[in-house]
Amino acid sequence: MVQINFAQKQINAKVVYYGPGMSGKTTNLEVVHQRAPDNNRGELTSISTDGDRTLFFDYMPLDLGTIAGMKTCFQMYTVPGQVYYNSTRKLVLQGVDGVIFVADSGPDAMEANLESIRNLEENLNEYGKSLKTLPHVIQYNKRDLPGALPVDELDKALNTFGTTTFEGVAATGQGVFPTLKGLAALVLKHIQTECAGGSSRPGATNTTGFHPASQAQASGAGTVSAPPVGGAPTKSNLDLHPAATPAPAPAPTGAVAPQAQSGGTAPAAAAATQPSAARRAATAKAAPTKPAKASPSKLMQTQGNPAPAPSTRPAQRTRTTAPAPQIRRGQGGSGAKTAAFVVAAATVGAVIAHFVLSAL
Amino acid sequence: MTTQDDARLREDRLVFYEADMEQLHTELDGFLELSKSRCAMLIDRDGHMVTRRGEAVESSSESISALIAGSFAATKEMARLLGEPEFAVMFHQGQRDSIQLQLVGERTLLAVVFDERTNLGLVRFYSQEATVRLGETFARIASEVRDSSLSDDFSSAGAAALDDLF
Ligand SMILES: Nc1nc2c(ncn2[C@@H]2O[C@H](COP(=O)(O)OP(=O)(O)O)[C@@H](O)[C@H]2O)c(=O)[nH]1
Ligand SMILES: [Mg+2]
Repeated sequence: MVQINFAQKQINAKVVYYGPGMSGKTTNLEVVHQRAPDNNRGELTSISTDGDRTLFFDYMPLDLGTIAGMKTCFQMYTVPGQVYYNSTRKLVLQGVDGVIFVADSGPDAMEANLESIRNLEENLNEYGKSLKTLPHVIQYNKRDLPGALPVDELDKALNTFGTTTFEGVAATGQGVFPTLKGLAALVLKHIQTECAGGSSRPGATNTTGFHPASQAQASGAGTVSAPPVGGAPTKSNLDLHPAATPAPAPAPTGAVAPQAQSGGTAPAAAAATQPSAARRAATAKAAPTKPAKASPSKLMQTQGNPAPAPSTRPAQRTRTTAPAPQIRRGQGGSGAKTAAFVVAAATVGAVIAHFVLSAL
Repeated sequence: MTTQDDARLREDRLVFYEADMEQLHTELDGFLELSKSRCAMLIDRDGHMVTRRGEAVESSSESISALIAGSFAATKEMARLLGEPEFAVMFHQGQRDSIQLQLVGERTLLAVVFDERTNLGLVRFYSQEATVRLGETFARIASEVRDSSLSDDFSSAGAAALDDLF
C-alpha cells in the first residue's frame, strides 16, 4: 500500500517483478541497480540459494527524486518464480502497488508463463486485489532466444487486460528501463487518482499546520464520487508500446530492436556478462544478517535525535506501566482508597522491575 | 462517499501527518531512554519504514526494513502452520547488537536494536508498554479518512523526473 508521509514529505510505493522461474526478474533488477544514478539507488539485497536462485526475494530501494514536492521512492522486489515457492511469493506481494510481469519468450515457456500469471491473479485476489485494477505492465523478455515466441501470440495469451507491453533482453539491459518507466508512470498516475479521491470529510482531522490540499488544491479534492479504479490497464496505454514511441536517447535505455542479437555489439556483450558478477558481489546469500553485522564505522546519529541520556523521567514513565488500576476499578472495588493503593503498588512494582532488570 | 469506499481507500494507502510523527517520536524517544536501546524503528508490514529514532545504520535502514518485514511475514506463516495466530515477538541475538521485533497493532512492527548497554529483559519490559500506546496511535491513524491530495501535476512531474533519471 502506498505510504504518504506529509511530515517527511515522502511517498513510498511497492513494486514487484513477477513471473515464472528463470524469466529474468532478478536480471531486470540487477540492471536497474547497475545503471541507476548512485544517488537514486540503494543497496541490492538478495536472499538467494547458492545456485543464485531467488529464495525469498531480491530487494532494492529506488529513489525517483522529488516529485511535486514529495520525495518519491519505489521499494522494488522480485519474487522467486519456482512453482513450489508460492507461500513466499505471496508474502512479497503483500501491499504491492505495481507489478512488472516478466514473461519468458522462450519457445517452451508458454505454459510456465500462463501458470505464473494465473498464480499472480490468484495471489492478488487473496489480498483483495486484481490485475484488472492494479497498475501493471508486461515485459516479454529473452527476445534474443532462437525460436522466441511471437509477441502477438504471447500477448493473446497473457495480456488479458490489454496493458502496456515491452520487449526485453534483460541480460543485455535492453528494455529494462522502458519497462520500469512504463510501470512507474502507471503507478504515479494511480497514486494521484487515488489521493484525489480521498477527500477530507467532516470528522476527518488534519491537526497539522501542513494541509496537503492547501499546497495545490487538487481538482478531485472534495469530490464525493469514488475515484476511478484502474487508472492502469487501459487501451490507451498501448500508446506507450516501445514500437510506437521514439527510442529514448540514452543508449542503455534504448527501446529494444525486435531482432536484437545478444552479444551482437561490443557494449551489449559486455553488459551481458555483468549481471551475474554483480549479483555475486551484492548478494547476501540466504543470510539476512546484515543488520547485526553493521560495522561501528557505519553508525551514525540521526539528525536531531542523539541517543537519549539515560537519566530523566523514569518516574513519570513507570506510572504508565500500571494497567492494573483500571482493571480493578472496573470490577467494582471498594472505592478510591483501593484504587490509590493499587496505583501505588503497581508503580512501586514497575520501579522495582526496572531496577531488577537493569541489574541483570 | 460510502463506508465501503472509505474502507477501500484506507486499504490503498497509509497517510501520516506531522502530528502523527510527533506523537510516534515522543513515544519512541521515551522508550529509547528507558530501555537504553540504540535504535527503534517502526516498519509497516509491507516493508516501508515509517520512522526511526536513535542511532542507526543510516545507509541501509531501508534494506533492513524490507528484510525485517520479510522475516516477520515468514515467521507469521510459520505460526499459521503451527496453528498459532502469530508470534508477536521475535528476537535475533548478535555478538554485539541484537534486534527485537514486536508487532504493533495489525500492520506495524517495532524493531529495537540494542547492545550490551542494556538487556533483553529491559527492552522487552518497556517495549510491551510502548507497543500498546503506539498501537493506539496507529489504530487512530488507520481509522481516519485523510486528505492526501497531491499537487495537480504530480504524475506529469513524475513522468518528467523519470525521463531525467533514466
Ligand atoms: N538469453 C537470455 N537470457 C536471459 C535474459 N534475461 C535473463 N537471462 C538469463 O536467464 C537466467 C535466469 O535469470 P534470472 O534473472 O535469475 O531469472 P529469475 O528467476 O526470473 O530471477 C540467467 O542465467 C540470466 O542470465 C535474456 O533476455 N535473454
Ligand atoms: Mg530471481
